[in-house]
Amino acid sequence: MANTYIPIQMKVKRIAAESPDRTLRTFDLTFVDESEREAFKYLPGQFCEISILGKGESPFGIASSPTEEDYLRFTVNRTGSVTNEIHYLREGDIVGMRGPLGNWYPVDDLKGMNVLIIGGGFAFTTLRSLLIYLLDARDEYKNVTVIYGARNPDLFIYKDEIDIWKQRDDIQFHLTIDKPVSGWNERTGFVPTVTQEIAPSPENTIAIVCGPPIMIKYTLPVLTELGFPDERIYTSLERRMKCGIGKCGRCNIGSKYICIDGPVFSMAELKNIPEMV
Amino acid sequence: MNMVRLDKKKFGEFIRELSVEYSVYGPGKVGGKTEYIPLESDDGIDLTGHLTDMSPKSIFFPHSEVLFEYDQNGIRAPQKSQKPLAVWGMRNCDSRSLLMLDRVFGSAVQMPEEERFQDPYWKDRYDTSLIFGLACNEPLSTCFCNWFGGGPHNRNGMDVFVVDTGDIYLLEPLNAKGEAVIGKLSCFTDAGEEDTKLVSELASIAEAMMPAEPDLEGLGEKLVSIFDEPIWKDISAKCVNCGACTFNCPTCHCFDVQDECKGKKGKRIRIWDSCMFPIFTMEASGHNPRALSSERVRQRVMHKYSYYPEKYGEILCTGCGRCINVCPVNLDIKEVLKRILLYNGQEK
Repeated sequence: MANTYIPIQMKVKRIAAESPDRTLRTFDLTFVDESEREAFKYLPGQFCEISILGKGESPFGIASSPTEEDYLRFTVNRTGSVTNEIHYLREGDIVGMRGPLGNWYPVDDLKGMNVLIIGGGFAFTTLRSLLIYLLDARDEYKNVTVIYGARNPDLFIYKDEIDIWKQRDDIQFHLTIDKPVSGWNERTGFVPTVTQEIAPSPENTIAIVCGPPIMIKYTLPVLTELGFPDERIYTSLERRMKCGIGKCGRCNIGSKYICIDGPVFSMAELKNIPEMV
Repeated sequence: MNMVRLDKKKFGEFIRELSVEYSVYGPGKVGGKTEYIPLESDDGIDLTGHLTDMSPKSIFFPHSEVLFEYDQNGIRAPQKSQKPLAVWGMRNCDSRSLLMLDRVFGSAVQMPEEERFQDPYWKDRYDTSLIFGLACNEPLSTCFCNWFGGGPHNRNGMDVFVVDTGDIYLLEPLNAKGEAVIGKLSCFTDAGEEDTKLVSELASIAEAMMPAEPDLEGLGEKLVSIFDEPIWKDISAKCVNCGACTFNCPTCHCFDVQDECKGKKGKRIRIWDSCMFPIFTMEASGHNPRALSSERVRQRVMHKYSYYPEKYGEILCTGCGRCINVCPVNLDIKEVLKRILLYNGQEK
């Protein structure tokens, strides 16, 4: 019987700084063992536990798309002892990984629909995975609209790719920051407000929201107000996690475990769950 | 197979015979408290039949346990156990708790097709184990197993049902595993009709000692409906969040995972944890979704009597009463449940 608690080995292939304050770094990992690469099948929205032996492990959303086959991407905010240690990694180092864990965005239901992606701060990771996944089969989906907010311009992640996405004429990509700063030519205002102003018609549209708890809390009601039915609003939740396989009890909310029943939930599911954010 | 008799004078011999094929555990005194300890003979065993202070979950889900060790050469999972486990003297509240924990750790109920949702450490111990349940002839004032489908002479979760009749234990095998072991050992004699009669008399006496059962119909839904009510502040007002209830509970199974290392060698261990502690849900950012004591007490009650039943159709409490016995501020879960059942938006 396979032992789910034992991590496999991954090699750090590339490291990129995402923010000038050095709190955000992106790590591209490759499989040390080819057979493990072949066995690893995932979809946008899933996460992995990254292990630093001696320090522990923490869950991170997968930022790469399954259509990008040669690496797994994770963007890590330096905030605790494990993430601190991850920031010390160098290219070529080996880390442990368990996954893929959790469920995924409803990619099959998105086919033939308009897609509204709403993200905030460094939670754009699994949304990047989703966006690349959609763009790699662009014809299968109708309009794709992205609203991405951050506290200030420095805190957007994947800035180079944002420039490319903004230039494409087959997606509407909107950026917003909380407060005006000089030299900023995009929108200003909190994500819920911007959503209210520029969200596309709810007709044949599925909305996918991922961001800090406060953003999710105030954005979901806006979507409802705009006429999105509960079954077509999805969000990805976070809680402190340990095992990632529904045993350790830490991420329990209602009768769900975020690690196995989520992290992706529809608004219809969340209605029956107390204390969601 | 019929019931057999085991003379208490032969008990040491019985444990020694059983030890040939099994690692045997039974109740014993450790530092003035009773818990399940490894046995090779009857040395150190506590045969009073009293409910042990610590629950037997620690045999199958130890307080701390190595998930793997590592050094320069890589990661090694711990050795599997050599012999299957046999446990003597589990009351129905405890044998049932293992069935409940097995839904979480063992049988991958959530996603049966996926092996990765099975816990290899639990399965290694529980799947091959042999449980000698003990009839509870003297329920305590804190016992309430009858509220949740248990009973002092109920047999679920056991392989062999044992009744203490004074000088003699009566053993009734409940399945093929139990029959096989009784057939193999030599220290038994056949039981007679008067023994069967005695067992049913003892059962009636014990059952009469159980407290009245409240009507628990709709408890789970009721709990969800009062989630945001101020009653939780009042229920939790005296709780000091010490976590003694969760550590002593036979069905609490939350754990933490920590790494311990010295130089390049180390191990990853899991340790019992408790939803009573603020750090349980504290995120690295400083955000804590369950920062208040009242929110944590609510989580414990909700998980046992609403969330787990919603998922598995059975309450995650066996009514053993340990949490009532150990609570330093006398927070009685029986009273909490009764109060919740009566609550209709305002009290008194």
